[in-house]
Amino acid sequence: MRIGSAKESYALDAALFDSRTQYAWIGVMLVALCVFPFLASEYWLYLACLVTINIASTTGLNILTGYTGLVSLGQAAFMGLGAYTVAILQIRYASPFLLNLLAGGAVAMLAGVLVGLPSLRVKGLYLAIATIAAGVIAHFLFSHFSLLTGGSSGLSIPPARFFGIELDDSFKLYWVIVPVTALMLLGAANLFRTRIGRAFIAIRDRDISAEVLGISLLHYKLLSFAISSFYAGVAGGLFAYFFRAVSPETFPLLMSIFFLAAVIVGGMGTILGSVLGAVFMTLVPELLKLIVGWLPLGGNATLILSPVRTIVFGLMIVLFLIFEPHGLAEVWRRIRRLFHLWPFCT
Amino acid sequence: MKNLRRKIGLATLAAAAALAFAPLAVAQKAAPKADAKEDIVLGGSIPLTGVFAFAGIAIDLGIKDYLTILNESGGIKGRKVRYVPEDTGYKVDQSMAAFKKITSQNKVNLYYADSTAFVKTVNPELERAQNILMTGASFAKEISNAQKYPLQFMVGPDYSEMVGILLQYIAKTKPGAKVALVYSDTEFGKDPVDAARIEARKLGLNLALEIVTPPSSVDVSAEVIKLRRADPDYTIFHGYVSAPIPEFINQAKALNLKTAFMGTFWSMDNTTVMRMGANADGFLGVMPYRYYYDTEGKSPMLERIRKMRPEYQSTGYIQGFLSTMLLTEAVKRTLDAGNELTGKNMKTALSSIRNFDTGGIIGVPLSIKGNSIPIGRIYKADFKQQKMVPASDWITLQQ
Repeated sequence: MRIGSAKESYALDAALFDSRTQYAWIGVMLVALCVFPFLASEYWLYLACLVTINIASTTGLNILTGYTGLVSLGQAAFMGLGAYTVAILQIRYASPFLLNLLAGGAVAMLAGVLVGLPSLRVKGLYLAIATIAAGVIAHFLFSHFSLLTGGSSGLSIPPARFFGIELDDSFKLYWVIVPVTALMLLGAANLFRTRIGRAFIAIRDRDISAEVLGISLLHYKLLSFAISSFYAGVAGGLFAYFFRAVSPETFPLLMSIFFLAAVIVGGMGTILGSVLGAVFMTLVPELLKLIVGWLPLGGNATLILSPVRTIVFGLMIVLFLIFEPHGLAEVWRRIRRLFHLWPFCT
Repeated sequence: MKNLRRKIGLATLAAAAALAFAPLAVAQKAAPKADAKEDIVLGGSIPLTGVFAFAGIAIDLGIKDYLTILNESGGIKGRKVRYVPEDTGYKVDQSMAAFKKITSQNKVNLYYADSTAFVKTVNPELERAQNILMTGASFAKEISNAQKYPLQFMVGPDYSEMVGILLQYIAKTKPGAKVALVYSDTEFGKDPVDAARIEARKLGLNLALEIVTPPSSVDVSAEVIKLRRADPDYTIFHGYVSAPIPEFINQAKALNLKTAFMGTFWSMDNTTVMRMGANADGFLGVMPYRYYYDTEGKSPMLERIRKMRPEYQSTGYIQGFLSTMLLTEAVKRTLDAGNELTGKNMKTALSSIRNFDTGGIIGVPLSIKGNSIPIGRIYKADFKQQKMVPASDWITLQQ
């Protein structure tokens, strides 16, 4: 049982990790992440990369929706802008992929600021509807600026290169996608130890009070949109390098809903929630497929159980929302508390 | 105490789940299954759920039935063909996940792909692996480019060729006719548009109107007014399965428009057309295959299908069935030539097919020259018989 961790300074109080145990676990996780690609099959590596890209985008949306309280349904559009920017730069200029990713993030960020302007006047559902416009406009741009975007058939992207090595499979891309996302997660976690992050939370909790306290709503709401879309843009860029094909239909409204669901299921306003939400939303359907595959039901099991699997996934989301509205992050915290206080209960 | 027990239970459950799934990734790293008899493996990213499930389920059944026939007759040179499908929900990321899963667990030779987006995404993987021949549900023009997609092919004409077949029929039936093209604002819908403009000009047809609608749009009254103003002899729909075609037809009938409506493959299933309602009587369209119930000529394979499945099977079923027939024919020819089952060898074998008898599924002998098979026939809806009936002979386009 851990009795407590005494904090003797504000810096310690605001530290990301407050015990040696946590550092030890972080070390174990880093080792596991480094060893994983050497042990896992191509399928699991693919899923790891996909989950990681989704984590990056979900974290961006969580900054905007979970921490700042601004509901957005434009995340897929920002990802699309990032993906197309990366695709165009890679195809036309073969520029370094890290630069392309930053450019993708920057383009999405600019678009995010524009789309965020209505947030100064409207919020809640009204803002959500306003952000849908981002998706519609982005789709129009992708399908009609054919010279740049390849029109309705989209673009096929050559693989990224790093010191002459083509990053053309999940194993190689893993070493780009995971570190970039880890940096983004670290950035997001640190953001909320700064004035900016605290201003976001103040706006979420009560925007009028925040303004009375001297927080400029114009500045911070747009900043939140900018950071969130930057995350989406970079995630979109990673998506483009991973799938090597983008088209106007690659980033539908349903994708934005997916990320919003990941934020809610994971836990709004927690970085851990973004990770757990993205993992849950991406991996649970796959795990359900595996479970269905293990059932001794004969050749037609896939056909019969596919719709059932979809229903089970939907039900799981609904049950989570009913029984744990604070999301998976809260479940995780409870499990941790249990081990901390073992053998006593709280 | 009860609370404590619950939490211990929860923690145990979490630990058990972690223990159960952690080795899974490692376990699956094991080399792909190599059967003692070296089965030929046909993988499939099949949309058994989602918006394309109506076709996916039929395709799945078609693939299984052909393989049953093939395996019952001894397989290919004594080797069975094993089918490994995975549901994709018609989503590219899931299709790719299915591909990775199937290919990492099996030594896959053949693959069925569910969408254009997936085909494009998976193409670099195919070229890297060089051991899989792929076909699928997409008829996108881009895929008919054999240089860009060297290990893929489609079982029928591409969408541009489908519209080309319709235009040839129109030019022959009513030279100089006025034509309208209605298509959805999607990659699928826009695919044949440029080619249709060129082909119409070449055939001396007047492409008088183009209408773009959202996919599955409901309110088409403004578009029908445009149609009325243009008064075309023929109106071709592309990029839809059903909606908004019935709405167009009903409103056009109410306005006494004389235009003949036409569709392409995915809107041409007998059930789909019959559900459009009686106003769709006379609806025309291009079909690369014979319908399930066609009895004209010699069609032993259709008879076999009817014996196996006494109830109507959709065009998706026939597509899955024929896809499997051609994929396995490529394997057979490769093995007959004593070559290794590489993607390139199988594609070469496939391209050697000349005057191939599909058992009546396609009404003319089949020769494969490129990535598409530009053969089709015009069928017409006959609501009295509740059937699509032939309205032309088989039309073969020059490649």
